[in-house]
Amino acid sequence: MSHLYGHFGAEGAGYSQPSALLSSTKLNIPSSLRRKELPALPRLSEPEVVRHYTWLSKRNFGIDTGFYPLGSCTMKHNPRVNEVIAQIPGIADIHPLQPEHHLQGLMSIFFEMQVMLATCAGMDAVTLQPVAGAQGEFTAIRCIQEYHRTIGESQRTKVIVPDSAHGTNPASASMAGYDIIEIPSTVDGRLDLDALSAAVGDDTAAMMITNPNTLGIFEEDIAAAALIVHAAGGQMYYDGANFNAILGKTSPGLMGFDAVHYNLHKTFSQPHGGGGPGSGPIGVKSHLADYLPGPLVGRRVLALNEKSNVSDAWYYNWVEPTKSIGKVQMWHGNSGAVVRSWAFYRRYGNELETMSEHAVLNANYLRHRIMEEAKAAGVSDAFTDGAPADIVKHEFTLSLLPLKESKGVGAMDVAKGLLDHGYMAPTVYFPLVVPECMMIEPTETESKEVLDAFAENFVKVLTEDAKVLHAAPKSTPVGRVDEVHAARNLWLRHEKGRQS
Amino acid sequence: MGLSSIDDLFSDIPEEVRMTATLPLPAPQSEEEILADARRLLGANVPLSERVSFLGAGLYQNFVPSAVFQLVNRGEFLTAYTPYQPEVSQGMLQAMWEYQSMICDLTALPVSNVSVYDASTAAAEAITCAVRVHNRKASQKNTVWVSELLPPEKMSVIHNYCQGSDIILKTLLHTADGHVDLASAQSAAGSCGIYVEQPNCLGILDEGICGLKEIIGADTALIIAVQPTSLGLIEAPGNYGADIVVGEGQPLGSPLTFGGPIYGIFACTDKYLRQMPGRIVGRSIDGEGREAYCLTLSTREQHIRRHRATSNICTNETLIALMGAIHISMLGPEGMRDLAIRNMAACQATKQRLAAIQGITITHGEASHYNEFSITLPSKASEALVYLDQKGIIGGHDLGRWFGSRENELLICATDQTSAADIDALANGLESWLEVIS
Repeated sequence: MSHLYGHFGAEGAGYSQPSALLSSTKLNIPSSLRRKELPALPRLSEPEVVRHYTWLSKRNFGIDTGFYPLGSCTMKHNPRVNEVIAQIPGIADIHPLQPEHHLQGLMSIFFEMQVMLATCAGMDAVTLQPVAGAQGEFTAIRCIQEYHRTIGESQRTKVIVPDSAHGTNPASASMAGYDIIEIPSTVDGRLDLDALSAAVGDDTAAMMITNPNTLGIFEEDIAAAALIVHAAGGQMYYDGANFNAILGKTSPGLMGFDAVHYNLHKTFSQPHGGGGPGSGPIGVKSHLADYLPGPLVGRRVLALNEKSNVSDAWYYNWVEPTKSIGKVQMWHGNSGAVVRSWAFYRRYGNELETMSEHAVLNANYLRHRIMEEAKAAGVSDAFTDGAPADIVKHEFTLSLLPLKESKGVGAMDVAKGLLDHGYMAPTVYFPLVVPECMMIEPTETESKEVLDAFAENFVKVLTEDAKVLHAAPKSTPVGRVDEVHAARNLWLRHEKGRQS
Repeated sequence: MGLSSIDDLFSDIPEEVRMTATLPLPAPQSEEEILADARRLLGANVPLSERVSFLGAGLYQNFVPSAVFQLVNRGEFLTAYTPYQPEVSQGMLQAMWEYQSMICDLTALPVSNVSVYDASTAAAEAITCAVRVHNRKASQKNTVWVSELLPPEKMSVIHNYCQGSDIILKTLLHTADGHVDLASAQSAAGSCGIYVEQPNCLGILDEGICGLKEIIGADTALIIAVQPTSLGLIEAPGNYGADIVVGEGQPLGSPLTFGGPIYGIFACTDKYLRQMPGRIVGRSIDGEGREAYCLTLSTREQHIRRHRATSNICTNETLIALMGAIHISMLGPEGMRDLAIRNMAACQATKQRLAAIQGITITHGEASHYNEFSITLPSKASEALVYLDQKGIIGGHDLGRWFGSRENELLICATDQTSAADIDALANGLESWLEVIS
């Protein structure tokens, strides 16, 4: 083990700093505000710091390490050129309070991204400000809320979500002050139009749904659902977590949605950094555009005597939407993520749909290969489809309930078994509507060889002895972590002398 | 697979919602072309690193050691998702547990999460958290008092986060010298919380804040927003009664990046632990009793609690918090102190130099300032900024953009990156502007 707090080197360890500008003058600090004791931080030299974090990194699994089929999270390759671009001083060292003429290059990229995202989703206006998918949800729901208040329909206090929805959907709507109505899916994992019809009314503010849904199935009745919600006066909100599956094939706009969020850290390859940063821009139809958090980037034709250092024709300027809900982040959102995603989109350009094609092809191929391998190994009865479907979109679900009942091996055991084969485990126990669920999303950046090998190893795990799987993983830096122990014996920071 | 073409894979999308035309976007580019475009476009921006700059106002340019960038770009950190499988995520989990420890040491509080989005969302989450904890006993139901010295952008975020739970935000007043009005603080007793900044947005370190806990009592949360680079020198809020400490993590570890991605600090006492937002890492053991780390207390979170979660936050700013952790590791206790001294000394040197110029008044000349201070000019600050810009100097932030009554005030920020030559350039620039307008 390497412990940061195991390093207490000589006083003053750490990298050297130049002396202060005013070494001779006494600093003006009121005595009660002067810190009495230095913080009890560790003291490390640079080589110790470098070794510690390098050691830590070797105990962490990323897409760079291996296949990462984490359903719903779209763990695709992160092109390295994006990282190079994000370190250019023209993004790394600029400040949001600089005047417009200092920022024309970035603002032109923002403008291009607003247009591109609106185009792909069939929306009319886009803000790049929300910094994560969940914040995008919250922002869009707030826009809908202010819209309803403005048109005199503040009695709309309920938001409808399917029971297969991401947990952030109800959490975001609830944060905005809405009551949540959860509607059950049909037995085959689809949206239940009868349940929806029964749930809507003049108190309906919005429905939040993702399509393809969290089982990876395209909701064929989506246009009918939009009609039902709209007829009741509600708004349709598209959770963009699964946008990777349909880009260029259909759009939320065509399906009848009024608002959508995009996960730039999913669809557009912003690296997820072990938990963030993300970026969650939202797009809306024109009736909601005035409510977006501002400012947005607009542009005007250059006047005769004007010059711009990025365009022969345009000057980019900030535009404040007239009925804006206000801000959701202090500045302009995660601009670093926007720039990386811009580079990713430029690589595809008008062929973005090939991204979705390959993502969907890979998911269907992997599903097919897993079935094939299972049949050959005689373990087809170890699992069932999470929901019946001839084809899936970018991800699919399996229920390991049969294996659980026959061998006492659950989805978590299989997940831990996969870790021993060098894979990141798929998402488990989500969506909640599938018992012993495993949700698998290969993404478009994996090769046939990787998918073949995963299918073989997946089935190998299914055939392993229950005892082995209950004890898995064995080859990882630590064995199965006791999460109950962690919750019962809370140990949330370095405490000198504490042993357990 | 029994399919004959890619189109078969999309046959489940009904005709009436299918996109028929190619996306009206430009043709694909190669990596070389994208890089060239990026360099051209981003090269047209004006980076603070290439100018004499005194702009801070919530984001601060401090020197970030090279090791931070080298280490954080290791693919195992960069390309991981949230550590849902702890056995193969021990690296990031331990790094975040150590981050929590460092934030606890700096703030003198026992609990920290692994970050929220930024200072503004941290402030908003702290306020809603305080209401959840204190509302039952509060005599001023659903009420939190918020310092009037807040940038409107931050106040706007707070409003958005609070309106859904009908939280009443009352204004905590400041005296003319820029310090918290203790009589106004008196009226906050019995409410769910009080939110103040140390230093405040005018850079003022306020001794009076140390006495606030006594004024408001145990049943009202004292929420302090800090500038984390100050905490090696300036008293930790946990030592003067803070219940929740939030702040902008950016100056520790992260470049400005146009204000995002950055990270919000969130620390608190045990009392708020189960109502706090965001991920928390706990130290535990594996089956063989070996030291191991995992996410804990997840039952507060949206993926379990759904609409009853303490927050909707899922993705946070882990990687940027990791940059902060590496930066703090490089500094150590004395390094944190020295960084604070350098920031404060640069601020004081700038203040002294400008105070000597006829026509410029240091707005709160008697106050103790960290990083930044306001000067009052004979004319609009926006005009001074335009003049300085033409001379290649970014002179600071026009306070009129934040507070209508302060349009003649310029907020000037100095950090460890400010040189004596920079200060001279600013002083000379302001002097020649004063001549022009006189």
